[in-house]
This record gives sequence, C-alpha cells and structure tokens, in this order.
Amino acid sequence: MMARLLPVLLLLVAALIFPLAVEGIFLGVGIERQLGTVQKIFYFHVPLAWIMMLFGVVCGIAAAVQLRRQSRTAEAIAIAAGEMVILAGLGVLITGPIWGHASWGKAWTWDARQISTGLLWLVFVAYVLVRRYGAAGSERLAAALAIFGAVDVPIIYYAVKIWKTTHPSNDVVGSLPPEMWAALWPALGALLATATALVAIRARQELLEMDLDDAWVRAEDLGAAAAGAKGEAT
Amino acid sequence: MTMLMLGAPEAAAPADAGDEYEAVEGLDRETIECQRSCEAVAARKTASDYEHIAWAYGVLWSLFAIYGVMLWRRGQRLRGDVDGLKARLDRA
Repeated sequence: MMARLLPVLLLLVAALIFPLAVEGIFLGVGIERQLGTVQKIFYFHVPLAWIMMLFGVVCGIAAAVQLRRQSRTAEAIAIAAGEMVILAGLGVLITGPIWGHASWGKAWTWDARQISTGLLWLVFVAYVLVRRYGAAGSERLAAALAIFGAVDVPIIYYAVKIWKTTHPSNDVVGSLPPEMWAALWPALGALLATATALVAIRARQELLEMDLDDAWVRAEDLGAAAAGAKGEAT
Repeated sequence: MTMLMLGAPEAAAPADAGDEYEAVEGLDRETIECQRSCEAVAARKTASDYEHIAWAYGVLWSLFAIYGVMLWRRGQRLRGDVDGLKARLDRA
C-alpha cells in the first residue's frame, strides 16, 4: 500500500513545490551580477546533476546487492535508478551546453567535468542496454557497468579540483547567498521528488514484470500438465 | 522622436515653435545616446538569456514528461499482460 502511495505523495509534493521554485527563481532572487539572467538555468541544472550522481550511486549499490544476494528488489531498484541517471544525465548534458553557449560563448569546452559526466551517461546507457537486450547471464556484466558508473560519480565531483576546468569550483555552491539558496532548495525539492516518484514507479513496474514472467511460465506449465492429464484420461 | 520626448537640448523645439517641449537640464545628447546603446546591449543580452532559459527549461521538463508517458504506456502494457494471464488461467 505504502509503495503504491509513495509515488503519488511525492508527485503531489513536487506539484506543490514547483510553483514556489519558479516564483523563487524568476521573482524572488535577483539577477546575478557576472552571468546575468541566464544564470537562472543554474537552479535546475545543478540539482539535476546532483540527482544524476545520487541515482548513479543508488544504481551501483543496488546492482552490487543484486549481484551478491540475487535480490529482485535490488535488481528492480538498480534498473529504475539506471534509467533515471540516463534521464537526469541527458538533462544535465543539454542544459549545461545551453548555459555554456550563453555565458562562455561555447556550448562544449571538453573540460574534465563535462567529459566525466558524458562518460557516466554513456556507462549507464550501456548498463540499461545490457540489462534489456543482454543474453542470459549478462546481469553480471550489467552490474559491473553500474558499479563502474557509480565509481565515476566522485570523479565528476572532484574533477574541478583535480583538473583545470571551465566549471567553477565546488565551493561556489556553498558560498551562495541565502536568497539564492531560498530559490535552489524548492527547485531541488521539486526535481528530487519527481525523480524519486518516477524511480519508485519504474521499480514497481520492473518487479511486476518479473512476477508476471514467472506467472506466465507457471501458467504454461499448468496448461501443459492439464493437457497431459486430459490426454492420459482419453 | 525619443530625443524630443526626453527634451535633449539639440532636439529642443526652436523658440518660435511654441512651448510644446521644454529641454531637460543636465542631459546632453551624447550621454543619452550612450545610455540608450547600453540599454540596447542589455536588452539584447536579456532577450538572448531568456531564449536560452526557455530552451533549457523546456528541454528539461519535456524529458521528464516523455519519461512519464513512457512509464504510463508500460503500465498499460503490463495491465494488458495481467489480463491476458488471468484469461489464460481461467481457460486452464
């Protein structure tokens, strides 16, 4: 019951917070002095990147648990989280270059953070493709890909510290003035609630699909057994 | 016309044209033109920024909406599968 209600509740929360986020971003917080109006992309671009990294780690952990314990729930969570990484990653990889085009004059600068984010996205695309189209036994390869993807998350975070990049340092977010945080929190809340709801729905669907596959096999067996019994009787 | 409205000295109406416009003191044509060109640059930048913002937000929420529709369609397919299984079991 709770599993069914959770996504609905989260989507309701997102629907309530989203107008607050828009109000905060476009009316509450002023125009940033150096970057101008386009800086408002930040309020969705950065939370989306955090969500991408969060579900990358969730997918990696769930895949490792599934590999070790053969847990169906972990498998469903890993698949759902993997798809969310692709979705959020695509959002990051599109909104980032749009912002870069306006403020750097260049959509893609091949900096370490961009490359490691692109790599993360490709790894999870590979994970989902292997999960969906891989032959029997490919779960292990898929799990290894998910774990590799999760390892890429800290590389994305520390990329700006290790290499010289066009992205600002990680300290920028921490040093934001309170009015910017007041706009960032609702944006993060709305996106996180939406993403978690979608992951919960997708995980439930995956579990249902696994149960259905089993039920079909049993139904086929039952049908075959019933036909055999009928044949013997005649 | 803008100059006349602002009452720049150069654009002020000649003395014999009546008292329709009165020149504003302290604003010369050069300052006003400089201000206007700065405003034009800022307006162009703001318009371009809003275009980028609209694209970014549009793409972002479209992605979520498309994924939501995909999940809904998958749910419908699964429901159909459950119905098919029930029918199969009823027949058996």
